[in-house]
Amino acid sequence: MSTGTLQLQAVTRRFGSVTAVNKIDLEIKQGEFFALLGPSGSGKTTLLRIIAGLERPDEGRVLIGARDVTDLPPYRRNVGMVFQNFLLFPHKTAAENIVFPLRMQNAPKARRDEQLKWVMSLLRLEGLEDRYPNELSGGQQQRVALARGLIARPALLLLDEPLANLDRELRSEMEIEIRRYQKELQIPFIYVTHNQEEALTMSDRIAVMRNGRFEQSGAKTEIYTNPASAFVATFVGHANRIDASILAIEGELARIEWGGGILLVPRPREANRGASICYFIKHEDLEIEGGAAIAPQRDGANRLTGVLRDIIFKGQTANYIVKLPTGDDLIVSGTPRAATVRPNDRVVVRWPAGSGSCFAGSNQ
Amino acid sequence: MNGMSLRAAARRRPGLLFAALVAPGAVFITIGLLLPLLSIVVFSFWRTESYELYADWSLNNYFTLLSEAAYRIFFLRSLVTAVLVTLVCLICGWPVAYVIARYGGRYRLLLVLLLAAPFFTGIILRIAALQALLGPIGLINMALSIIGLNPIEALMYTQLASGLGLVYLFVPFMVTAIYLSLVNFNFELLEVAKINGARPWRAFVEITWPLNWIGTAIGMILVFIPCLANAVTPRFLGGPNATSFGMSLSQQFGETGTWALGSAMGVFLFLASLLAILCIAPTIHLKRSGFTGMAL
Repeated sequence: MSTGTLQLQAVTRRFGSVTAVNKIDLEIKQGEFFALLGPSGSGKTTLLRIIAGLERPDEGRVLIGARDVTDLPPYRRNVGMVFQNFLLFPHKTAAENIVFPLRMQNAPKARRDEQLKWVMSLLRLEGLEDRYPNELSGGQQQRVALARGLIARPALLLLDEPLANLDRELRSEMEIEIRRYQKELQIPFIYVTHNQEEALTMSDRIAVMRNGRFEQSGAKTEIYTNPASAFVATFVGHANRIDASILAIEGELARIEWGGGILLVPRPREANRGASICYFIKHEDLEIEGGAAIAPQRDGANRLTGVLRDIIFKGQTANYIVKLPTGDDLIVSGTPRAATVRPNDRVVVRWPAGSGSCFAGSNQ
Repeated sequence: MNGMSLRAAARRRPGLLFAALVAPGAVFITIGLLLPLLSIVVFSFWRTESYELYADWSLNNYFTLLSEAAYRIFFLRSLVTAVLVTLVCLICGWPVAYVIARYGGRYRLLLVLLLAAPFFTGIILRIAALQALLGPIGLINMALSIIGLNPIEALMYTQLASGLGLVYLFVPFMVTAIYLSLVNFNFELLEVAKINGARPWRAFVEITWPLNWIGTAIGMILVFIPCLANAVTPRFLGGPNATSFGMSLSQQFGETGTWALGSAMGVFLFLASLLAILCIAPTIHLKRSGFTGMAL
């Protein structure tokens, strides 16, 4: 029996005619960093509020550490929560904000001081004890909010887009920090975000949420490399989307015509000849090289020829935008030094046949 | 100075425009408020005889005020009444303001405007109307006599009736002050408190109350000070044993014509009100109240 784990059993929450959370089952293990990824309105915040006890599910049960907490108010659940807009108590100093949960538990002063010291050093907040929230920078405020969430060593820490209000540089710094705290403390974190990079950087496991349901849930590498649906493929990673219809089936592969060439893509389950499909291939899975048109599919690779329209330099990588004869664009991501191509050069884009992910239907 | 040249002047010296905007109000306050107040202070050291003021400087009026038991009783009666009325308004006002601010939704504005409804008529009329509720032939006692019970004596021309009248008159001020504070209060902080282990009452004590203390204190002052000076409700509802300090004060300027003594009473009242504000001021700690509108 593991303690401190969270279990959701067919949790459902409706607002009027909208089902914000639809029969969600979930189990979170001790020490796991779990990300709930989804666009706004997908129900991820509602699900988090149900776990916190701020929202009551219409159906289903919520268990924390094998204890049914569905009917318990938030203050009896022993969960911590960090909010997007920090929500520090403006009339309390940083230290008073942080020890608040322990004071509510009527913890003795000695223990409060000891825990405060520990959490202040964990979050590198020393020296800021007596500042009021409006005297702290955004990053400091977020760290105080995290400290408040962690000081009582909750069974579970819920984070609702905690980095959305921070600037980019601070955000990537905090992503690594938050993951470090989580690994050190071994408290399960549930992290809600609409930012796939955050989810990928920090978490062990991701659930992609859409319309109140989990579209896919699994290890982050699994979600990244094997998206279960067109939606997940669009939402996680950066992929080129290709809509076409199947010309022929070749075993596990399907042959399509697109962009002025013939491509071999994975065959979606139960898709037959003539079926329309949408195919996703990640930017970084494509390779680009200069040169004129070569006979397509010479070595079992998909090849398309086009003209390099632009190079978007991003530092570590660059995006090469290739204009195909049909007018479609294809984006290739690579290290900027590797390729010697220049804009307006004729180029060939190449990737292994059958890589990428392909789904039946094109209306998503 | 016409608009164009004013604007031109303002461009050259921005302070000038500011001065032009402040001047009318400043002049009005100086002439309409400070000068009469100053004259009251001066009169309080003079002497009245047969409805005439004589500039014989002395402390006699203050001596009378402090030595005669009647004035002491009037003042203590007013003070106790003002304190009790303030507390009752506080206890009645908070839940009303809270419910409007938190659950009023789109009816919030309408509900707040309803608070102003009593002001559509005059104060005397409203107090007189209360007689129709509390008086010997008022609604309550009539109803009691119809069903064969004795009328409630405590409601007929007593200090209780006078106090109830005050609560009725001043509770809208309290509600408005607290409401205006609560509309700027972030109720999400209560959710945060609850997640962090605070039961509802603890969340109120720790978060809601301190963050709305300025508004509450303003409400208390708005109720306390007029109640301390109150002359109207005891006259209509209080009966013979409810003479208040304010009522006695107004008599000095009316029936008895002892303006100098009345002025001394006015100064005394002014100082008492000032003291009340000074008592409440140290409890207002801008940072501790979550006040963020100050560059620090």
